[in-house]
Amino acid sequence: MTDRRALFAGGAAAAAAAATLLTPKDAAARSLNDVLSGGEIRVGVNPTLPPRALFNERNQIDGFEPEVAAAIARKMGVRLALQPVGSPERIPMVASGRIDFVMGAMSRTSERAKVIDYTVPVHSENYGIVAVQGRGHTSIEALNKPEVTLAQVRGTTAIAYIQRAIPNAQVLLLDNYPDRNRAIAQGRAQASFDGIDSVRFALRPFRQVQWEVTAVPEFGVTYSGLGVAKDNHSLRNWLNIALYELHTDGTIERAWEKWFDGPMFTKVPASPFF
Amino acid sequence: MNYTLIYSQVTGHIPYLLGGAVLTLQLAVISFLAGWAIGLLNASVLHFGPRPARLAVQGYVTFFINTPLLVQIFFIFFVLPDAGILLSPYAAVAIGMSLNAGAYLTEIQRAGFQSLRREEIDAATAMGFSVPQLVWYVVLPHIAKALYPPLSNQFIIQVMTTSIAAIFAVEELTGRAYNVNSLTFRSLEVFSIVAVIYVLLTLVCSVALALLGRWLFRVKARVF
Repeated sequence: MTDRRALFAGGAAAAAAAATLLTPKDAAARSLNDVLSGGEIRVGVNPTLPPRALFNERNQIDGFEPEVAAAIARKMGVRLALQPVGSPERIPMVASGRIDFVMGAMSRTSERAKVIDYTVPVHSENYGIVAVQGRGHTSIEALNKPEVTLAQVRGTTAIAYIQRAIPNAQVLLLDNYPDRNRAIAQGRAQASFDGIDSVRFALRPFRQVQWEVTAVPEFGVTYSGLGVAKDNHSLRNWLNIALYELHTDGTIERAWEKWFDGPMFTKVPASPFF
Repeated sequence: MNYTLIYSQVTGHIPYLLGGAVLTLQLAVISFLAGWAIGLLNASVLHFGPRPARLAVQGYVTFFINTPLLVQIFFIFFVLPDAGILLSPYAAVAIGMSLNAGAYLTEIQRAGFQSLRREEIDAATAMGFSVPQLVWYVVLPHIAKALYPPLSNQFIIQVMTTSIAAIFAVEELTGRAYNVNSLTFRSLEVFSIVAVIYVLLTLVCSVALALLGRWLFRVKARVF
């Protein structure tokens, strides 16, 4: 065999091995009984969205979602196995049964609900204004002036709203949220209109600035639940009951306040019906 | 590929993208001219200046060639405001790109200076030329023809490099492409159109530079 043929044969073998390893195996969603008998619940959390989930100083996954997931696992009496998931793969992971449910800012939308099922809400998701305190940038009307520059992250949903509702403001489009926050802190922009749930956590590095965060409920509030595989009714029903108990005993609100430096901008009422 | 290309959702944004291309060209011209001036000054210092000045120029060149442009502009954009210097996004990017180009153009022009014959410099010095006069009347006419092709290449690189400005809120061609993409979600269509605009932009620049070179210095450059 020539060197080239040997190389080709080796490459083909490696490709075949890689294909075997990487091909998704069919995995069925586990029912409540499967999870209980297995003694472990697998939960997807998103460490790219701190403080929903993050890696702590010991490089372990920590944050709001792991804390709520741990409370659920305790109620269930099983071990908790946290699985880090990113935004693109979080729905495929639960839809394929690789995890039992997913957290990770799972805003409930009719489009997503075609692919997975949702529990009752865990927390709300709110939009509003981030600005420096005492400058009067606390309403959409106050922002809608040519002398106001809004620092925004390129490609986010708020931009279309700004073009429609705040057309007179200047817009400074940056690449990410830390840069946006820095731009406001340095006076390059006066405010930002965007999601505000994580903002108090994100503004921690700018302690010299007195921030003002104002919710704008007229933009619309969305709700995040736990995402479970389609038609996995036994697990979803149990999770709904567990979430009702965690809402009523204050576990979820306490975890939220601990990680997000304040209460939810829109409280989630605990409903016994689902 | 299961993707259906639908250009009609993007073509309406082409005038907006072309506006970004104008800004791209403007940024490239400004940063190239400023970088050329910095490079000429530095090359003069390296050739005729005292040792401390030469060391300072070498330090500048080493720093700017060995750090990414992104980091340099980030420093100007986000670190200088903490020292009380708040530049507009356009100014911050233009200054960053000029300083960066200045380092590369120092090296290019230094090589041109080294190609000069010692006798020419000695003759000019004997005639009482000051260093600026020496550079302007003796050095530049000699090295212009030899340096024109690498300087032209550097200009084309500057055009490409402007895309980094999108990160710093400058709405040049790439920045506008991101904006259109976030409106239409038609990434393939948007960025293929932007690629064509970049190709046209560099081709037009190459032809213009080739004609200018032929007219000014009789440099026969190949565009295609």
